Amino acid sequence: MAYSEKVLDHYENPRNVGSLDKNDPSVATGMVGAPACGDVMKLQLKISDTGIIEDAKFKTYGCGSAIASSSLVTEWVKGKSIDEAGSIKNTDIAEELALPPVKIHCSILAEDAIKAAIEDYKTKQGK
Amino acid sequence: MNYFQLFNIEESFDVDISQLSSSYQTLQKSVHPDKFAHTSEQEQRIAVQKSAQINDAYQTLKNPLLRAEYILTERGVDMPSEQNTFGDTSFLMHQMELREMLEDIEHASDVDQALLEAQRVFSSEYLELSQQMRAQIIENSDASNSGACDNLRKLKFYQKLNIELDRLEDSLFDD
Repeated sequence: MAYSEKVLDHYENPRNVGSLDKNDPSVATGMVGAPACGDVMKLQLKISDTGIIEDAKFKTYGCGSAIASSSLVTEWVKGKSIDEAGSIKNTDIAEELALPPVKIHCSILAEDAIKAAIEDYKTKQGK
Repeated sequence: MNYFQLFNIEESFDVDISQLSSSYQTLQKSVHPDKFAHTSEQEQRIAVQKSAQINDAYQTLKNPLLRAEYILTERGVDMPSEQNTFGDTSFLMHQMELREMLEDIEHASDVDQALLEAQRVFSSEYLELSQQMRAQIIENSDASNSGACDNLRKLKFYQKLNIELDRLEDSLFDD
């Protein structure tokens, strides 16, 4: 199965790979995994006092589509409010990357990673 | 007829593999194409279908993770879909570390040692989880079955780690 050009581009030149300091109170971490393929995805967001995402980093162990989905998401969420970021749908990601049906779960994983990170942020803020 | 009945073995998570294999071979012989060479096309087709079913059943019972999944499904346990995201953060953090460990092997000063160490860690953690799962399957209560599902999902991440480890080993010693 051939990957789309956009997937290949993100796979070969992933944006925003790396880690942020998880102990920084303004950094939220979302960890998700897919048992079906064993993919593991970590998405970290640095969020300002006004709820704007200033920086995003990811680290993903998985197939090309999983890496591309998480790379794309880090580009999309930067500069957005957490509410805007939380409304990103897996279908938007799948459409942008032209993912075939068997790789839709990679986009679901990326959407769930954003949600998990926002959840982590709310927990941290509540403390 | 369930898979255990098909092979005439006890319905239990602990399968005697040699008994399973010999029963499998006997069954496959009974549907071997040679035996149906002189029969109608329809009978030949049925024999081919049976052979495929026997093969599916054998592959399922032979593999401990597939066997666990089959037993839990037969019990009517509500299994989360394979596509559902797994969100156990501390488990996934640890998986990330194991992936990093795997990634660092080829840069290690002693590659053989690093490979052995990764193998040791992966298999001891796999063993611990699979023993927990086995006990939960044997207990067969609502709570233990749901715990077994959870452990089964975790074990799949280790299955993936082992595939990646094998691939790395092949690529390192392939030249």
